[in-house]
Amino acid sequence: MDATPFFFYLFAAALVLASLTVVLARNPLYNVLSLVAAIFALSSIFMLLEAFFVGVVLLLVYAGAILVFFLFVVMCLNLTPEALSTTGQGHMRVLGWLAAALFLSEFFLVLKSFAWAQAVGASSVRGTVEAVGKVLFTDYLLPFELTSFLLLIAVFGIVSLAKGAFKTK
Amino acid sequence: MIGLGSYLLLSGIIFAIGIAGVVTSRNALKILLSLELLLAASNLSFVAFSRFNGDYTGQLIVFFVILVAAAEVAIGLAIIVLMYRHFSTIQADELKDLKW
Repeated sequence: MDATPFFFYLFAAALVLASLTVVLARNPLYNVLSLVAAIFALSSIFMLLEAFFVGVVLLLVYAGAILVFFLFVVMCLNLTPEALSTTGQGHMRVLGWLAAALFLSEFFLVLKSFAWAQAVGASSVRGTVEAVGKVLFTDYLLPFELTSFLLLIAVFGIVSLAKGAFKTK
Repeated sequence: MIGLGSYLLLSGIIFAIGIAGVVTSRNALKILLSLELLLAASNLSFVAFSRFNGDYTGQLIVFFVILVAAAEVAIGLAIIVLMYRHFSTIQADELKDLKW
């Protein structure tokens, strides 16, 4: 018996709940921690899609590095309740959720018109390190090298930002 | 059997939640976190398409998106820390120095 549907619904429910917490929780610490939970659920769904390499990279880079960085910033800023007050934004909140509902309904209509109409079976693509690496280092070698430049430029940007911060002190 | 439509619907739900978060929150940190949700949702649809089309390109795009997101978050958080030092707040709508 195929257990994929059970796990899909389990992880999908976890993902939706965690992302709702990211948006709705008041405390920034809970926002960050629920995004960690969402990334874990998303990584599990990647595993169900047999995208093993990308799933593990997502887990390492997001849950391991980016969100720890977020946590450090939340702790360093030491935010007071006044700094986080949410007053006088009732209409924006309604508009935001309205926009999200509109997007979702449009998305649902588009999806209904094509994706469920043609029942595409899953291919035998397995995102192992070997398979993904082979494509990465042949067809996508130049973009891969360029991302290292992008990260280098990001490092320069952060250093210059931090330098300015210390000068004005 | 879970088809392509289910994965795309899940990705759409996450994207809608992310849009609501970006529009409704005033806290700059929360806006950045909601942007991460948007990226995660698009990553999910890329991987789903890759799986159902039998092409590795979708997974490679996800790989590059993760790399770019790392750079984006690093710079975004640096800007938020600077913002807190200058204005001692991280509410996005209190930055109105460019307004005249």
